[in-house]
Amino acid sequence: MTEIVVVGCGLTGLMASILAADRGAKVTLVARGRGGLTLSHGCIDVWGRATPSRALSRLRMSHPYRLAGKESVQAGIEILRDLCHQADLPYLGNISHNLRLPTAVGTVHPTALAPKSLSLGDLRSNTPITIAGIDGFRDFYPELAAANLQKTGVTVVDALHLPLPLSAARRDRYAMDLAHSFDDPHFRDEVVRIWKPRLSGVKRLGLPAILGLKNPQLTHEELQERLGLTLFEIPTLPPSLPGFRLEKLLRRKAMEMGVFLIEGPKVLGRVEGSAKSARVSGVVLQTTGGARTLPTDIVILATGGVMHGGLVFQQNGQVRESVLDLPVIYDESRQHWTASSPLESQPYANYGLLVNEQMQPLGADGQPIYTNLFCAGGLLANADRSNEGSRQGIGIATAYRAVEVALG
Amino acid sequence: MIRPNLSTDQCLKCNICTSACPVASVSDEFMGPKSVGPQAARYGYTDRPPSILSLTWCSGCGICSLVCPHDVAVAEINIQAKAEVVKPRKVKLRDQLISRPELLGRLALPVASLANRSINSRATRWLLEKSLAISSSAPLPAFANQSLRTRMSSKCVDSPPDPEVDTDQIVAFFHGCSSNYYEPDLGILAISILEQLGQNVIIPPQRCCGLPLQSNGLLKSARRYAQTNISSLAPFANRGIPIVGISTSCTLSLKHDYRDILGLQDDRSNLVASSTFDFFEFLTFQLAEELNHLEFKPVPAEALYHPPCQLRSHGIGFPALRVLERIPGLQILLSESECCGIAGTYGIKQEKNLIAHDVGKSLFEQAQESEVDFVLSDSETCRWWITKYTGLPVYHPLEIIARAMEIE
Repeated sequence: MTEIVVVGCGLTGLMASILAADRGAKVTLVARGRGGLTLSHGCIDVWGRATPSRALSRLRMSHPYRLAGKESVQAGIEILRDLCHQADLPYLGNISHNLRLPTAVGTVHPTALAPKSLSLGDLRSNTPITIAGIDGFRDFYPELAAANLQKTGVTVVDALHLPLPLSAARRDRYAMDLAHSFDDPHFRDEVVRIWKPRLSGVKRLGLPAILGLKNPQLTHEELQERLGLTLFEIPTLPPSLPGFRLEKLLRRKAMEMGVFLIEGPKVLGRVEGSAKSARVSGVVLQTTGGARTLPTDIVILATGGVMHGGLVFQQNGQVRESVLDLPVIYDESRQHWTASSPLESQPYANYGLLVNEQMQPLGADGQPIYTNLFCAGGLLANADRSNEGSRQGIGIATAYRAVEVALG
Repeated sequence: MIRPNLSTDQCLKCNICTSACPVASVSDEFMGPKSVGPQAARYGYTDRPPSILSLTWCSGCGICSLVCPHDVAVAEINIQAKAEVVKPRKVKLRDQLISRPELLGRLALPVASLANRSINSRATRWLLEKSLAISSSAPLPAFANQSLRTRMSSKCVDSPPDPEVDTDQIVAFFHGCSSNYYEPDLGILAISILEQLGQNVIIPPQRCCGLPLQSNGLLKSARRYAQTNISSLAPFANRGIPIVGISTSCTLSLKHDYRDILGLQDDRSNLVASSTFDFFEFLTFQLAEELNHLEFKPVPAEALYHPPCQLRSHGIGFPALRVLERIPGLQILLSESECCGIAGTYGIKQEKNLIAHDVGKSLFEQAQESEVDFVLSDSETCRWWITKYTGLPVYHPLEIIARAMEIE
């Protein structure tokens, strides 16, 4: 049985682990801290700027999408859609036409796939919307969202505040606290009783994403039916429930498939051989007690970019890769790392590893550095994920491609 | 004392820790790990003790540090701050008592059956609750008639073997208070398994790891215990002898708490830390070969595995699963809860018992609804606690391994 170590448990690492386990490999998934996915909006952005499927074939050759290939985008996304569907968290949308979803600050977020409870807020639909905040919940301001959406031409009928059947709390309530409350059926009974009279005439209601963590799909459907309207969720400030739900689903799925999850240690690579036949013989885990060596046949790095620990931007102007110190493409002058405005595309966002179509990182000679090392996700160079609206799509496509080559 | 506080500057206030905190998810008494930890430390005065009483509701499970994506020592900050909060007040007699399982064990041993009978009588439990605020519904362990050290006296040694002796197959067993005074049979089973795998087990001098003292804010006493243990174990570690324990919380103290909470950072504590192994960590990392040669007898059963929070903090994954999965006929279901609630001595306290029970509620429900034959967990307090609230037998995974190896 092929042994494979995946480093990083964001969307990319979790997908790579599930795909590898599905192909019969013995997978160890190692990660330090939960992050990426739990901080995200839970949607799958593939290409935010235009029709995704057409835009992908026009990208420059070095873009991760071009390297992974269009088939990987499609195949990876369909697998994710199936996983979510089987786990009762259906995702709607496709990569031909973006959904246009409202954000908590009233901007428009184009995305390929979204959980059903978010997708019903699609602004391409003409059904007028009402946006509601929750009394005592400080992470969502319906008036702000409504006013900004009006500016983009969306008709917002009303912005209102809804109370919850909860006693005064001794601290701020976060989205997660409210989600725990919504998991309780008796709580939902009370909510319906209090809300129904306040929502007469409302056709489509947008709420901050708080509708449960245990079985959000059922909770959402139940509330829609009992309130008699279309109900949609809007992701809040991190940690955001839709991201948490997807993370929980994928982590659980991976473990059920026999993926051995090790959370906590820093990971360093171990290398043997030289020149053309060099390979990664395993990883050294800096566990709480001490170093433990994990020999393996294949390593997939999915450690993410600068925000996630895969790339380390040093004060001395160097940018390093954190596990194997692989060569990183970056500008050596720190002044060039950022653009003049924070709202522009940032040069540093494009820094990362150069890989070939097999997802193998390349050395200065343009050849793969190690025969059994593959990289995916935020670690790869030549894409500005925030600006392109491509973060999750790149993660999924490159994870799919890496596993396909590694175990193919 | 080291200052985990230095890591507060890495806190982005993303709230992942608050969302993952088992206590904050069921109670607003606790403001959450971020608020009382990194945030309070940032805004606090270095020359004044922290004044946030909400801190005392932290159960010390350590999940916050585990999930933090930016290496903030959230739990460590909180435990140190908790001790500072307790300091100017008088530590309750109850907390003084329950944090000394070793002392209780030594006192009760000669009169074990009498002690067991009277401690579990309703009248005594009523009295304990009224006088000491020890919850009358929390499980208290029964004392054994004979300690492990007495029963295994031939294996007890004062010092490591002479320099000329090859220490290759020698293992030093850290029994902790639990298998010395409460569950000696379990310790003896562990020793038998190690012996069957070709190891020569010795029992070095040792005392309570000190974790209960540390959790109750008695850091000075805890440090004294830690220093004794480091002094008696370092000579063994120095000879390359691994220290193996079956209680995931004692081993975590040796690996982590002595250094990162009690501030005992020197060559000897580092050596003890890196030589310490959880029982299943040792089996899977160090005895992988020997394990491969074992033939397990079938154990036809369905079991729910619940990893203790303290095991999570080892950063080694859940190695018991890697051994359990080899047993024919054994179906393992994974716990969906991060914590069972007891957190050592937390759930025993009357004022915290209800919160602790609510933390474990979803685990208890999962165990009962899934109709498993038994539950598995590596920590003694978790086992006692889960048994109490599910009525199901709860075993240490090594008991099932012993069954599959036909060790009585």
